[in-house]
Order: sequence, then structure tokens, then C-alpha cells
Amino acid sequence: MGTHIKPHSRRQFLKTTAAACSSLLLPGSINAFKRKEPIRLGYLPITDATPLLVAHGLGYFSDEGLIVDRPVMVRSWNILIESFLTGKFNLTHMLFPIPIWMRFKQKMPVKVLAWDHTNGSAVTVKGDSDIHSFKDLGGKRIAVPSWYSMHNLILQMGILSQGLKPVIKPQSARLAKDEVNLFILPPPDMPTALLGNKIDGYIVADPFNALAQVKFNARIMRFTGDIWKNHPCCVIVANENFINNNTVLIQKAMNAIVRAQAWCIKNPKETAHLLSRDGEGYLPFPKDVLRKVFEDPEKSEVIHPDWDVARIGFQPFPFPSATRFMIDQMKQTLVEGDTLFLKKLDTSLAADDLVEDQFVIKAINEMGGINQFCNCNLSQPYTREEVIEIN
Amino acid sequence: MKSINRFIYKDPRQVGLNAIFGNRNFGWKFELIGLLIFVCFWMAAASFIFTRPEFEQFNGFLPGPTFKALFAATQESKFWISVFASLKRVLIGISLAAAMGVPIGILVGFYPKIRSLSYSPIQFVRMISPLSWMPIALLLFASFESAVYFLIVMATICPIILNTTIGVLNINPQWIKMALNQGANNFQLIKTIVIPASFPYMLTSLRLALGVAWIVLVPAEFLGVSSGLGYLINDARDTMEYDKLMAMIIAIGILGFILDRIIQKLQHTFSWSWND
Repeated sequence: MGTHIKPHSRRQFLKTTAAACSSLLLPGSINAFKRKEPIRLGYLPITDATPLLVAHGLGYFSDEGLIVDRPVMVRSWNILIESFLTGKFNLTHMLFPIPIWMRFKQKMPVKVLAWDHTNGSAVTVKGDSDIHSFKDLGGKRIAVPSWYSMHNLILQMGILSQGLKPVIKPQSARLAKDEVNLFILPPPDMPTALLGNKIDGYIVADPFNALAQVKFNARIMRFTGDIWKNHPCCVIVANENFINNNTVLIQKAMNAIVRAQAWCIKNPKETAHLLSRDGEGYLPFPKDVLRKVFEDPEKSEVIHPDWDVARIGFQPFPFPSATRFMIDQMKQTLVEGDTLFLKKLDTSLAADDLVEDQFVIKAINEMGGINQFCNCNLSQPYTREEVIEIN
Repeated sequence: MKSINRFIYKDPRQVGLNAIFGNRNFGWKFELIGLLIFVCFWMAAASFIFTRPEFEQFNGFLPGPTFKALFAATQESKFWISVFASLKRVLIGISLAAAMGVPIGILVGFYPKIRSLSYSPIQFVRMISPLSWMPIALLLFASFESAVYFLIVMATICPIILNTTIGVLNINPQWIKMALNQGANNFQLIKTIVIPASFPYMLTSLRLALGVAWIVLVPAEFLGVSSGLGYLINDARDTMEYDKLMAMIIAIGILGFILDRIIQKLQHTFSWSWND
């Protein structure tokens, strides 16, 4: 008799079970089970990550009602790309050529949502170096952070414009007078390599230029924004399927990021403090190094003072003219590895296919229009002419 | 005859690496003098290289700034969080590797067929840099933390398997014969002879694994973790603060030394019956 179930308790059990089961059918309870897809941000310790970090640091994501964990820092582009592909991050920044390579060569469903920042890179040489312009680069060794980077593109534009030839050779190889040897180096190693005379210069994103300036009086040979006016550098990317399944979420995230970009333009000093280890500690750098990045360069350091470009800018709209220019340039740029996919690529089709700008346009309009971010021609705010001048 | 006998299995732990990784206590005087010589060497080499004016930025490598930075670091909670984070990763990684590697090592050592089958795969895997597993680690594991454990396991499991195998192979064959004569089955053999007899080798394998684990930890903390001594080393590299970098190296050295000493003590405790 010990196993006898009292009728009363059995009825009770049936009731509860039935209630629990039927509650599964109610739409409300289903939503309760389906966890909201959180936004997972990833970044590298460079100032390129600024808009994402500021949007998180100032709570702009939470203002939009999003649940966003503290952005996760990784130390190399490879790890960032791999983590993005395996879904550890669903919104992140990447050098513009990387999503082009991912989408059209590797056929990965990645979309560019907006520009993360503009300019923000430079060619750095030693303080006592005799390199003052691109024509002095013949016979020199220059480091680039990645073959698929803005930096490699712009550097090679400069080299070619002077009738020099970019080559990829071993470090010990003898270079002809008109050859410029290119290397891949991880950005943190660049200042050290420059100081140790392993290379004659490097082109990379800040703060590794500012760091060398502060630490050992390195000289900026040329800001990239001084070559290609307000060029894109990093872009905000997300997985295409993620975007299609979470349009509301993406819109909210873009609103927060664009709002952060507007804030960064107005508050350069505060931005430097917030990101530094003296502030929220998103980046390992001290405040004085970062300040240099967000300050405008001195007039003597720039060739085109009339362009009036910031050292790092935060214009979010992805101008199609720039995307097309970049794809065209990539076709001419020397890289290690298979580049056949670029030859076959139709530039305008690819540019349209790569970029998804509806979210950022909506976000910009909500912020009060694009004139907050650039001195654009307001009759046609979403077009521009690319200005490139190398000397 | 007598003179030859002296070299055969009198002390199994003195074969090969065990001459260094054995449980012998060299005495604290020797250890202290060794450390002092090491520091003098570092001082001499560093002051020879890094006091040149063109290397002014690198004088953080000198012992003075290093110990100053180490002292400053010990005042910060960030440092201690990192110490525990790294220790946790190393210990969990090695425990997982030992949980898998020791049984495999025993089987490989005990069954000649398994040994022949597994020889080439183990040699193959052993040569692969653990860091080339990084993409796979990111793919297989949901969190960055578990990816770090995976990398440590991949790095340490081979030395554990190999050393355990050597331990099993070095068991005095007469013990096995004796047990077989008395009707022992394989299970009893493994339980009563193989495991206890190869235990010192297992501990030695853990000591080897410890060193490898710390080697892998620094690059493994390139992954998305937010603390750890490797993480701090990467931070120091990013900001060209070489005194901090050296301070973390010293900290890792001290921690590794302490962990090694703990296992050494264990080794000492478990070296009863057949020693001497």
C-alpha cells in the first residue's frame, strides 16, 4: 500500500501538468522561453574600435533597450575574424577590405552596415629618418598590418604614384633603388621593430603611431587622411542572416553607434579619457597617448591643411563612391595569396551587394542629418567625390 | 657482473629526464647560488645591451625597473585577479589533460598492440604547435575561457601520455612475471603494479606539462579573455612598457617554481617502496 497514490494528489498532478503544457501554447510564454538574441561585440585594442566602445561606455545601447555585455577584446585580426565567423561576436569592426575578401572570396554572409571611422592611420618613420615623402621610400622596408587592409592599399597607391615598385621579399633580400619591400607585422610589434631598425617605417592604425610619437619621438611621414580625404578605414559588420532575423535589434544598435560617433566628434578629450586605462580601461593605453590620436594634427604635419581633416573622424555613412574606389584599388594592390576573385568582381555590383545602408541612414536622420558628421553637399547628402592627392 | 648490475633499474626515476626531474633535493644553498648566478647573468647581459642610448626605450628589461614594476603590480588588485585567472587556467587545463592522458598512457604502455597503433598518431600530434589549434578551439567551444583550456590540454596531453608510457615500460619485468605466476589478471596487474610503479613518472609528466602550459598560456590569452598574466604581458607589449612585461615574466617564473615544488614534494612522498 506504500505506493498507492492518493486520488486527490493525482488529480492535482494532472491539473498542474495540463496547465503547464497549455501555457506552452500561449504566445506570451513562448517568447519567455526564446531568449532574446544578445548583441556580442568584439574589438581589437586600437582606436578603430572607438564608436562601439563609447556606445557601450556611455550606456547608449541600454538607452535603446538593448542588452549588451562588455565588449570583448581579442588581440589579432585573425582571432577577431574567426570569432566573428563562429558566432562569438555578432557585431564588430573590421578593416574595410576584410569583409570584401570574406564576402567575395570566402563566400561568407557578411554585410557592411556603416563606416566605423574615417582616417585614423598614418605612415610613421623614426624621428631622424630621411624619409619625408613617398618618393624617399625606394629601397626601404615598410611594415603593413595585413595584406587586406586600407593601409596596404594606400601605401601602395603612394609607392606606385612615385614610380616605385612594391615587392614582397625576404627581409635580407637586396632591394633595387626603386623597390619597396613590404612586410606583415602585428601592430603592437611595429614601434619596437622600427626602434630596433628592423624596418624603416610602418603604416598602421592609431594609437601605434601616437605611441611611437610619445615614446620615442617618431615622426608621422603622412596621415592617410592627408592622401585620401576622409577615407573609410574600419567598418561595422554583421552576419547577413543575423541582420535579416533581427532588423529591429540592428536598427537600435546602429542608433546607439551613430549617437556615439556624434559624441566622439564633439568630445575628443573625454573620448580619450573614457577609452584609456585611466578611464573605463577598454584599451590598455594611457590617456596622453590616446589624446594625441583624438587631437587635430598640427598644421606643419599635414600637406593639405585646406582639407581640414581630423586625425580620426567619425562619419558613419558608407559612401558608395568610396566602396567602389576601394574595390578598384584592391584589384591593383599587391598581396600574398590568391587574388583571382578580385579580377572577376564587377565593382559596382559588388559595392551594392556588400553594403546594407538602410539602418545607418535611418540612424543618421534620427540624429538630425548627415551635416553633423561632415561638411557635405546638402543638395545631395549621400554622394560625394573621392579626393585623392599623393605627394 | 656486479658492476653491470649497478646500472640496471636500481632507481627507475634516474632514467632519462628523471635525472633532472627526479625527487632529489639538491639543498637550498645550491638553489640560492644558482638563482644568484642567474640574476647576475641577466644583469650583465641586460646592462650590456639595453644601456646603449639607441635602446633607451628598452631599459625596462633591466632588473631594477623590473622589480620596481613587479612591486607596483603586487599593489594592484588587477594583478592578483590575473594571477588567479592564469593559475586556474593552468591547473584546470593540466587536470583535464592528466585525466585523459594518464589512462591513455597506461594503456599504451601496457598493451603492445595499442602502443604500435598509437605510436604514429601521437608522434604526429606532438609536433603540431598547439596554437595552430586556435581556429578549431574557437569553432568547437562556446566560450573563450574553454577555448583556452582546450589549447592548454592540446599542448600538455602529449608529454603526459609519453611520460606515463615510459613509466609503464620501465617497470621491473620481474615484478610482472611474479604477479603472473601467482595468477594475476590484466586488471589486477594494472591496479596493483603498473599504476603504483609508474606513479613517479606520472608526477614527472605533470611537471613537464606545467612548463608547457605556461608557454601556451601567453598566446592563448590573445583570445577574448579579460585577465591573466599572459593578458598583462600582451598589454605591456601593446603599450611598450617593458618593465611591466619583465615583471609579469618574473611573476610567471615564481608561480611556476612554486607549483613545480609542490609536485616535487608529492613525488617525494610517493617514492616509498622501491627506492633504495
